[in-house]
Amino acid sequence: MSDFRRFLAKRLAVSALLTLISVTIIFFVLRLLPGSPFETLITTGNLSPEQAEEVFALYGLDKPLWQQYLVYLKNLLTFQFGYSILQSRPVWAILGPKLANTLVLLVPALVTTAIVSTAVGMYAGWNRGSTAETASIAVTTFLRSTPVFITAIFFLIAFSYTLGMVPAFGMRRVTATPNGLLDTYLSIDFLHHYLLPFTVTVLYYSGDFLLLARNGVVEKKGSEFLKLHRAKGLTENEQLVRAGRNSLLPVVTYFALRLGMIFQGLILLEVVFGWDGIGRALVLAIEQQDYPLVQAAVFIMALAVIIMNLLADVLCAYLDPTVNANGGAV
Amino acid sequence: MSTGSISIGERIISRTESVWSHLRFLAEDRLACAGLITLGVFVFLGVTGPTIAPYHPIEDYVRTTQGDIVRLAPPSTDTPLGTTEYGKDVLSQFLAGAQPTLIVGLLGGVGTGALGFLVGLVSGYFGGWVDELLMRLTDLTFSLPFMPMALLLLTFITPNVWLITAIIVSFLWKMPARVVRSEVLSTRERTFVKSARASGASHLRTMFLHIAPNVLPIGFLYTAYGVAWAIAAQASLAFLGFGDPTTTSWGRMLRMVFESGTIRIAWWWVLPPAIGIAAVTTSVFFIGRAYEEMINPEIQNQ
Repeated sequence: MSDFRRFLAKRLAVSALLTLISVTIIFFVLRLLPGSPFETLITTGNLSPEQAEEVFALYGLDKPLWQQYLVYLKNLLTFQFGYSILQSRPVWAILGPKLANTLVLLVPALVTTAIVSTAVGMYAGWNRGSTAETASIAVTTFLRSTPVFITAIFFLIAFSYTLGMVPAFGMRRVTATPNGLLDTYLSIDFLHHYLLPFTVTVLYYSGDFLLLARNGVVEKKGSEFLKLHRAKGLTENEQLVRAGRNSLLPVVTYFALRLGMIFQGLILLEVVFGWDGIGRALVLAIEQQDYPLVQAAVFIMALAVIIMNLLADVLCAYLDPTVNANGGAV
Repeated sequence: MSTGSISIGERIISRTESVWSHLRFLAEDRLACAGLITLGVFVFLGVTGPTIAPYHPIEDYVRTTQGDIVRLAPPSTDTPLGTTEYGKDVLSQFLAGAQPTLIVGLLGGVGTGALGFLVGLVSGYFGGWVDELLMRLTDLTFSLPFMPMALLLLTFITPNVWLITAIIVSFLWKMPARVVRSEVLSTRERTFVKSARASGASHLRTMFLHIAPNVLPIGFLYTAYGVAWAIAAQASLAFLGFGDPTTTSWGRMLRMVFESGTIRIAWWWVLPPAIGIAAVTTSVFFIGRAYEEMINPEIQNQ
């Protein structure tokens, strides 16, 4: 086996183990939670003890803990998330569309910010010490250090409440009843609601990409290969392109990491903008103690992080020959 | 920086000098300077805020001379920052709310920095299975999504300042740990460390006297970032309704105004806590940026 293959096998095994540990922690934390969604039903007399037992059996809550755990593992492996306690619908039927809503907002935003702010960052790094550099760093430092819900509130106040340019809440007009995918995501109404959350997401993530790209270019600026290029008579812009290309690796791996974290990172954004995504669904499910829903949402978020971490590590080891495959990648 | 031959006293003097030169450097960077001033104001508010607040932030109501509760009053001479939907004084809440923000920020940041520094140091120094074990542990905290897990834990136990700090530290230490570890890996190979080991220094001595001082700047930097992360995390949790219900914090103020549905009108209630949080976290990052420029040799030697 080559070094890279061994690294890959090890990394896959570690990821599988991490997934197991994560889902185990989620299971036990949820089971330790006091109270249950049925309690109110029972205490108010809406459910008789016999009916309660039936319901418990239906959700498998009458079995010993270890049996529940095994069933839970088996179900997760087959993506069977069970039924929502409060909505009596399969969890996946509830979460699926919400997951789509989250992805529709976040993936384009992340791709946009990765491309635009990496380019700006490279330009800033190349013109080190210029006003443009200082200004871009000041602005993006503000955007990335301020919690996203606060930036969102500032934007709401400015563009929605004061200027009245965009709606403040939701994904579409309350009266809208979209039919099918095209109608759901490709309408002026949707775009109108989309603009503000999209902009805030792009701005929130811009700082990290900008600084990574800027630092990369600054580090490359004095290096030998650029001196050679300069001696060959390449123009400033051509040199910048080469310096930039050589500092893309951290940006690429960072993009993978960010993609894994987007679900959880923007729970707050979804709450502020009333975006009907998986993050907002999780907060509501926790408040209503709808365990199967919580379980599935947290599992999806954890799985995204684990897969993307794996991808980032592998990309890093694959693309950068100087990285030690035995774990030198930071 | 440090070698095995100079005494502890000389080392302390050179450390003090370098701290001063760092501060002088920060004072020259305009953004970092503004950050230092903002942080100073924030710490002052955190310490004195609750005592100089004209009203009790939760118990007192602002009343007219007739005794009616004043709800949603815009700023005036009586209440410089207006009142809330519930008839409380916004200025008092703002002043008192700085304290939990400061406590969680400081403790969370220092805890994050210290724990991460120790893990990174031990992991990088010993390598082998110790490193493997500790790094897989950081992977685990990376793969448990922070926000959902924190929300779960906080429904389980009633939130208080200490619990929130503990949760933040237990999730954020991975950041400094990884960076410190990679710094230790390169420091470990340098001649003075090898000669210290060869001359019979114990593991503990080598780690803390020879390697740690060289990694300390990056540890400090991540402690500072830890403060900003902790403040942001605490504010976010409070905003979602998972904050300490017995105290006023800036995040909780924002939750109240958001929940009450008056966010559209009551700008005087929204802006103070929002600007407060934004200013503090940004300040820490401005200082961190300037400091990073200074200690990162690859950026520096241009």
